[in-house]
Amino acid sequence: MNWKRFLSGLTASALIAALVGCGSNNAASPSGGNGSPGEGDYPKKPIELIVPYAAGGGTDAVARAFADSAKKVLPQPIGVVNKTGGGGAVGMSEGSKAKPDGYKVTLVTVEMTTLPLLGLAAFTPDDFKPVARLNADPAAITVRADAPWNTIEEFLDYAKQNPGKVRIGNSGTGAIWHLAATALEQKTGAKFSHIPFDGANPAVTALLGGHIEAVSVSPAEVAAQVQAGKLKMLGVMADERLPKFKDVPTLKEKGLDLSIGTWRGLAVPKDTPDNVVAVLKEAAKKVTEDKAFTDVLDNMNLGVSYADDAAFKEAIQRDSELFAKLVADLGLKK
Amino acid sequence: MLDLFLNGLSNIFTDPFALVMSIVGVAVGIIVGALPGLTATMGVALVLPLTFGMEPVAGLLLLSGVYFGGVYGGSITAILLKTPGTPAAAATALDGYALAQKGMAGKALGVATLSSFTGGTLSIVILMFLSPILANIALEFSAPETFALAVFGLSIIASISGKSLVKGLIAGMVGLLLAMVGLDPILGFPRFTGGIEQMINGVPFIPIMIGLFAASEAFKSLSEMNVKEKVKVKIEKILPTWAEFRRLIPTILRSTGLGTFIGIIPGAGADIAAFVSYNEAKRFSKDKDGFGKGKIEGVSACESGANACTGGALVPLLTLGIPGDAVTAVMLGALMVQGLQPGPLLFKNNGDLVYTLFIGMIICYVIMLLMGLFAARYFARVVEIPREILTPIILVLCIVGSYAINNSFFDVIIMAVAGVVGYFMQKYDFPASPIVLALILGPMAESQFRRALALSNGSYDIFYTRPIPLVLLLLSAITLLTPIVKAVWQQWKRAYQ
Repeated sequence: MNWKRFLSGLTASALIAALVGCGSNNAASPSGGNGSPGEGDYPKKPIELIVPYAAGGGTDAVARAFADSAKKVLPQPIGVVNKTGGGGAVGMSEGSKAKPDGYKVTLVTVEMTTLPLLGLAAFTPDDFKPVARLNADPAAITVRADAPWNTIEEFLDYAKQNPGKVRIGNSGTGAIWHLAATALEQKTGAKFSHIPFDGANPAVTALLGGHIEAVSVSPAEVAAQVQAGKLKMLGVMADERLPKFKDVPTLKEKGLDLSIGTWRGLAVPKDTPDNVVAVLKEAAKKVTEDKAFTDVLDNMNLGVSYADDAAFKEAIQRDSELFAKLVADLGLKK
Repeated sequence: MLDLFLNGLSNIFTDPFALVMSIVGVAVGIIVGALPGLTATMGVALVLPLTFGMEPVAGLLLLSGVYFGGVYGGSITAILLKTPGTPAAAATALDGYALAQKGMAGKALGVATLSSFTGGTLSIVILMFLSPILANIALEFSAPETFALAVFGLSIIASISGKSLVKGLIAGMVGLLLAMVGLDPILGFPRFTGGIEQMINGVPFIPIMIGLFAASEAFKSLSEMNVKEKVKVKIEKILPTWAEFRRLIPTILRSTGLGTFIGIIPGAGADIAAFVSYNEAKRFSKDKDGFGKGKIEGVSACESGANACTGGALVPLLTLGIPGDAVTAVMLGALMVQGLQPGPLLFKNNGDLVYTLFIGMIICYVIMLLMGLFAARYFARVVEIPREILTPIILVLCIVGSYAINNSFFDVIIMAVAGVVGYFMQKYDFPASPIVLALILGPMAESQFRRALALSNGSYDIFYTRPIPLVLLLLSAITLLTPIVKAVWQQWKRAYQ
């Protein structure tokens, strides 16, 4: 049984490769005849997708699932290259300086807005032309299942009456979840002790072990524990409730206008021609509707969230402004 | 329990594809592990996309095979070429390379293989039967506990310093100073980075290790190119004799226990397990001075400890959904892509599959044992390759290996600098392992210390009012003070005799 599947998979991928090869040959010959390269013949060689984080992580999984599904909609394959370092700064910096011909695309994340503000990156969001957003996940306030608070109001009231008593874990100082918890403080007047961990997972572990009172990381990172009844999610900082956690209210419903979270999307260097962006954007739209892609994200509890270039650009600008203020208030600006 | 076990057994043997994937995984893992720069973590991450289209058991066994093989494979090049393929193998190199220099490369490889197999298999058995009980250890370990563990690890510098304790401590301090470079772990301020983006997360650690061990050895070999000296290799015996193996049993069992325990602790992995196991093997040995000069116990302790870490790291991953180290963090992603949610519900909802996996993992270790013992005979011949051929190959491996980690040429430069420094350190008898140990544990000690203070609101009480940190800190004090007290005592005795 399995052998058959394996062999048929192999043959299928060989066929696809052959077809792709023919397709690009066909596409190349007429344009060569017209003698007008540049317009309309993108892509004519494989595209490189820079992932600024290590292979095996969430961002890498999104990138590889995207590259896989993009085979169905683009005449050329996408190759994923992990360029790690500097908490994402190295990869994104390289992506921002790439030749603006659309053959080096960067999988950008929310750190594209925070790293420059923290003085940890040589690029700014303006060095990029956003192509499309693929995924977005809000911050969520999660506590232990046996915690005395059952609603976000009770939790915030306690934090207001006992300033600094609530220790809230995040994935690192200046990271998005730290900013989210800070924004919540500013909005409500509550006062937390922020405990930075080396990533979201260690923060969740500390919460499970009862070493801290809450975490502000994304639902994906606490989903397993919430489903097992060890942790409970009190609220999410999203515009709408999450399909997987229908009974968890948004902070907006509670009158707190906070919508903060992480996102991942595609971006190219700022001088890239619009026709190239259009091709990539169209491909991204189709991929986010492809079941193979959405299944991968769904299994990892990541939210699919397509936004076209204009909407993505606007979202990036909005985040940049909000984070600039938070970073300044926290005294993190270098 | 028993029916789950039997079910798993029949599942795995009726799934030839999964068995083939185990073999492929172990083979890929050994190669990846043996190559400097390609660690078990990278190997698992590289094959991860291939598993997306497979059945869960086959895919996860492919990953497990790469994981186990990767942890073991590092020892091969460490023993033969003093080029540790993985950070854990830097400990194995201490005695393994000395054995190879004595012409006992085959024996060293055999002991490493056998110990890896025993440690790894026993840890899977522990995982199978005790994981619900042990999982809570992972939760007990918070910042103060992990800080104390890191301090304990650093005290090991005393036992891996070789000829001179002072030189070992100097090397350790240099390592700790290098560990200061990079983002402040709590406040996020970049320290000593010189504005170089690649340094924001600290000095890249694996290029330094490759430089200090492998490149420096290659430079040394270049400088002695004209010296005709041939290592005579007798490779009749790969397996240790029964008497030797019996002598190793306490070491293997102790290291397995330590390795499994360290594996369970989040954030501590095979590298720490290997060094701690080495230290304890030395502590309990009657022949302490023989360590570092080619003692099979040294190789055995590191390898059984490092491989026992695999089962340990899987305990919190499968029972709590918490990855114990970098490799299991990748495997967490793999499980989730397969639609399996690791955590308390995994055993309940997918008990059948979990036990099939356990059996498959033990099979992976058996495959590793067979491959390792079969190949050791041929690998051992590497020592016979003339220097003028072997040395350039090692240098190429150093460059490719350090480039491959982050696809960054910057890392190659770091490797080269570390290589030159390592060459002179070797010339003047400064040991390299304390630097490696300090680079692994320094950042861990610092960030956990400050995190602990953040948790306690600045009170130092947190370090001695909890049992685990208290015990570990006392143990570190004993490890560090024993040699000094002994020396003073002997002096006193001599003076009054």
